Amino acid sequence: MAELQIADLSKELKDAIQALDVSGDIESVGIVTRVGDGVVWVYGLRDAGYSEVLQIESDEGIVEAFALNLNEDEIGAVLLGSDESVIAGAKVTLKGTVLDVPIGPELLGRVVDPLGNPLDGGPAITTKQRGLVEREAIGVLGRKPVHEPMMTGVMAIDGMFPIGRGQRELIIGDRQTGKTAIAIDTMINQGRQKTGVVNIYVAIGQKLSKIARLVERLKEEGVMDQTIIVATGPSDPASLLYLAPYAATAMGEYFRDNKEHALIIYDDLTKHAVAYRQMSLLLRRPPGREAFPGDVFYLHSRLLERSAKLSDKLGAGSLTALPIIETQAGDISAYIPTNVISITDGQIFMEADLFNQGIRPAISAGLSVSRVGGAAQTKAVKSVGGGLKLGLSQFRELASFAQFGSDLDEATKHQIERGQRLTELLKQQQYTPMGVWEQVASIWAVNTGSFDKVAVSKIGEAKTALLTRLWTDNKKDMQELNKGDLKVTPEEKVAKLIEKTAKAVAKGFEE
Amino acid sequence: MASIRLSRRKIAAYIADELIAGRNATRQLAAYLVETKRTREVILVVRDIESALAERGVLVADVAASRDLTPEAKQTIADFLRQTTGAQDVHMRPHVDSDLLGGVRIDTPGQRLDQTVRHRLNQLTASKI
Repeated sequence: MAELQIADLSKELKDAIQALDVSGDIESVGIVTRVGDGVVWVYGLRDAGYSEVLQIESDEGIVEAFALNLNEDEIGAVLLGSDESVIAGAKVTLKGTVLDVPIGPELLGRVVDPLGNPLDGGPAITTKQRGLVEREAIGVLGRKPVHEPMMTGVMAIDGMFPIGRGQRELIIGDRQTGKTAIAIDTMINQGRQKTGVVNIYVAIGQKLSKIARLVERLKEEGVMDQTIIVATGPSDPASLLYLAPYAATAMGEYFRDNKEHALIIYDDLTKHAVAYRQMSLLLRRPPGREAFPGDVFYLHSRLLERSAKLSDKLGAGSLTALPIIETQAGDISAYIPTNVISITDGQIFMEADLFNQGIRPAISAGLSVSRVGGAAQTKAVKSVGGGLKLGLSQFRELASFAQFGSDLDEATKHQIERGQRLTELLKQQQYTPMGVWEQVASIWAVNTGSFDKVAVSKIGEAKTALLTRLWTDNKKDMQELNKGDLKVTPEEKVAKLIEKTAKAVAKGFEE
Repeated sequence: MASIRLSRRKIAAYIADELIAGRNATRQLAAYLVETKRTREVILVVRDIESALAERGVLVADVAASRDLTPEAKQTIADFLRQTTGAQDVHMRPHVDSDLLGGVRIDTPGQRLDQTVRHRLNQLTASKI
């Protein structure tokens, strides 16, 4: 009997060995030596690459991690799931790929996590393609200067700090100053103006209730169908918060590379930097300023460099980025804000003081700038918005001077009064993005002095009345103006029409 | 004076060279680990030495099967390992693990070849999930 068993075993072994597909079955294995705080240290796997996916065996199945520290003796990796089931001594293998996520139009209208798993309770997402989470930005020859407008629908931005497709424009300010509101209005405007631009909103460590409210709002506005939301909550592991913007950018690049236009909003990169700091400290990388690692600049520069306007040869698609940064007490000279300011092509600075005074959107005319958007500004808006920024900046300065004395010359008084009206005019309710014709008509009415006699407190009402009357009586002209190609000069028929209507409307709101 | 802290890989390379040259450096290694307070790393150091030996053509393999291996089976495995890894010298540490149900699992430094029934069943279960 014993002999028979041995013979069987020998045969079994020979068969097993003969059946081996050696190259396919021999796998590199390592073992977990330490685990904790979402970070795992692995012995072995000497052929692992940077950012390569590791698969760790656990009682609850395979847990994935990605390698970030390739040391001489061990690998430091960040877990993509919970570390509760991972134990020291667990077997680790290489997946053989770097991180990738599903990309494509199938994601439109969905809320997903940074790995592309649905969070909206909808069916599983099956896409034809997958995109690399970490990908090199397009080179110089593959790019083209920014020249097409990306209308936000916010008059203060489109008039003073225009954004172009492929631009990176930072939205920066303290908490509760309306940063996200501008980003959401921009998304809504893409739907209202039927621009065809795909929206991608990346929530980095945002409260899930806030994300749920956003989804509801976008559905109400009918924009959700052209939107992808990549969501991470405050309770998600730092690794997912770190990955979210890169994964979302991969999703946006699909549209950019397929001759389409996409807008990506990173809300916000301050939390992203904090998540990366947490990971880096746990991986025992040396801390630098404010305990951020040395490569925190590269963290954001390599991300934002992927937003670009492609050359005609590559299809002329674009990916526009609106990163958001939260400041503390308006300090834009802190580490992360200065980094991102230097990376982006301009910034919209939101002031808490203005917000508290009821000036919303609370955009600071002095500190905001758009470095490349001028070339992309709609012709019609450009023709009326020329002196807007200067006028508003001068007004804010004069207004603070005027507080000290009442004896002002006529010119200064006039400038202050015009500035007050301009400030009122630029106030805009949330979720009410304006079209090109609305912006042009409103600014033109103030520029021509038609609203000079309107009480400052009634400028908003006068504006609404003007727009209603223009649309009712001259719909065709306004539709033509909305195309944005018309340069508005005093000689233009439409300019005269707006001025005449504005003067007529103003009579009903005089002081 | 405190000793310089060396990486495990460097320690392993030195010890492997000593072993191949026929010198026993075990006491020297033990003294170093005690002095540098790295005795907790002893298992990893041994694994690294095995890796270093494998790079030098001396392969140490853990062979697990559900039953005792016959000399013939051992020879087959040794030949297989020589052929696939290019090692001139193969040292096997066979052991029995009835949980494997059948087949054989070979662990060499940093690599594993799992041809056990247990592994196949696990794969089957995972693919069904």
